[in-house]
Amino acid sequence: MAPLDTPMPRSRGLSLATVFERYGLVIFLAVLMAVAAVASPTFLRPANLVNVLTIAAPLGMVVIGQTFVILVRGLDLSVASLMATVAVLATAFKATTNDAIPLIFLAAIVLSAVVGFLNGWLVARRNVSPFLATLAMMIILQGIRFAYTGGAPISTLPPGMGFLASGRILGVPVNLMTLAVLAIAFGIVLHRSRLGREIFMVGTNPKAAFLNGVAPDRVIILCYVICSVCAGIGGLFLLGYVGTVSNWVGQGYELDSIVAAVMGGVALTGGRGNIFAALLGVAVLMVINNLVLLLGFPIEMQLIIKGIIIIGAAAFYRTRLV
Amino acid sequence: MSAIAMEIRRNRLVMSYLIVAMLLVVLVVAGGFLSDRFLTWRNVGNLFQQLIVLGMVSLGQTFVVLMGGIDLAIGSLVSALTVFLANFLEWRPDLVWLALPLALVAATAVGALNGLLTVVLRVHSLIVTLGMSSIIFGATLMYRKEPGGSVPRAFADVAYAKIAGIPVSAIILVAIFALAGLWLQRTRSGRSIYFVGGDREAARLNGLPVDRIVVLAYALSGLCAGIAAIFLTARTGVGDPRIGVALTLQSVTPVVVGGTILAGGRGGVLGTFLGVLLVTMLNNLLNFVNVSSYYQWVIQGLIIIIAVGIHTSRRR
Repeated sequence: MAPLDTPMPRSRGLSLATVFERYGLVIFLAVLMAVAAVASPTFLRPANLVNVLTIAAPLGMVVIGQTFVILVRGLDLSVASLMATVAVLATAFKATTNDAIPLIFLAAIVLSAVVGFLNGWLVARRNVSPFLATLAMMIILQGIRFAYTGGAPISTLPPGMGFLASGRILGVPVNLMTLAVLAIAFGIVLHRSRLGREIFMVGTNPKAAFLNGVAPDRVIILCYVICSVCAGIGGLFLLGYVGTVSNWVGQGYELDSIVAAVMGGVALTGGRGNIFAALLGVAVLMVINNLVLLLGFPIEMQLIIKGIIIIGAAAFYRTRLV
Repeated sequence: MSAIAMEIRRNRLVMSYLIVAMLLVVLVVAGGFLSDRFLTWRNVGNLFQQLIVLGMVSLGQTFVVLMGGIDLAIGSLVSALTVFLANFLEWRPDLVWLALPLALVAATAVGALNGLLTVVLRVHSLIVTLGMSSIIFGATLMYRKEPGGSVPRAFADVAYAKIAGIPVSAIILVAIFALAGLWLQRTRSGRSIYFVGGDREAARLNGLPVDRIVVLAYALSGLCAGIAAIFLTARTGVGDPRIGVALTLQSVTPVVVGGTILAGGRGGVLGTFLGVLLVTMLNNLLNFVNVSSYYQWVIQGLIIIIAVGIHTSRRR
């Protein structure tokens, strides 16, 4: 239903502004890749590209989850801490054979779901702001993790974890395939299912959603559970990629996942966003990180560029036209 | 807002303060029982000496939160300033009189820039200050990756100076908090911070220069970070690009514990002061009874949740 005060009908043709608005990120990515290709001949080599994508996969998983939470006007600062906690949990089995991998995944998902439920419960039922609830969760998980490891984690991992995270089947990285499966599955949930519609309704206007028979609390809690589970799985894949457990696996992923989602046009005010655009944001972030290295700039410059990008992207989408 | 509503709000705030004050008393008594070193003159002196860094960053955070925003750039700013101070003073130890004002001006300018960006770009303060934090941190690391620099003896003594047995830094802290409280309660510009935090649109319609007030709150937060950095540098004697990493989030805890609502417009500096005392004393006591810093993290997280729980359920 069109709002009554729509000033004028939208023109059929694609104006330049609309193209820029809708495909801005794709154009940006293309430009970045062109710059990277010119700046360094190694960039477009398949080996480098696959490498970039392999590093991107765990972040992509986290971003899928972060998107769900931001869509219901939330924010999850505990994802990175959860990733590290899951990584420590994975070593707690002291498993040396691959038989333990399903068990590790199961334990990780259960732990993540509990953490997500607590986050969601605090936000939805106890009216704690998402910022504070997930911040507190971040510190609590950090404390429990360090207390368990005594500051020095052990690194006994089944060899198959490494294969999952950096191995390939027919030349395609396994973790990239996993990301694709996750993205499609959660993409269907979000953009094609009833639950997805409810999520957008709650994010746009919780009160209206409630009046339409949607229970906002349940939807919000579910979004936090999805976010944490995605982060937990991302943590396992990152762990397999890194190979050794530290108490800080995934450090910085809370900021990066928010940057990527915002760059992908997920509105922090809730109710607007797309999983695949958010993943495009991951690609842009990764290309930029790679570009900084290829150009021989100090790695700290990534931080500066990331900061500029998140502010710029948020400002760009605020002035969106469509 | 009607006078009655105002009165109820004020009473609720007083109740929040009373709860925190009661917790403080409980903590002191419990501390006295649990450890015979806790209530010694020496420990209390040490405790008050440590207060100023957390106190100042929390005060800055209070201004911004009252105005309805949040400042996540505080930690990076403090780190950057300690690096600047220690390296500048190593180069020219005689120019302390120049270095300190420079640091304060730079800090205020960065704070004001945060405010300007939120106002001009109309982007959420969380995003702006998160981005700024990343930029400042990256720039600081590009300059110095490891802790370094040094400070002249006279400057280092500032951190440990005492008048009649009372740490100078604690006196300064109390004076600044008192000034801040008076300013917020008694002046037009101070009260306008509450108005903007309570309802920005209404404040605008009432003719308040909202944008200027927003920038002012962030600038004050920057200034507070500058003061914190000066004392931190004096105490540690080096510039550490990572020293402030934890400060950003630590600065939020006393604000929330003190009953200032994150949505803005409600709370005050007295609550923050009590919150700073509570957090510092609790950590101090936990150290005495040999609770590892790992569990202190858990406790800090629980405190945030419990404090918010208490204050929100009171609001209902």
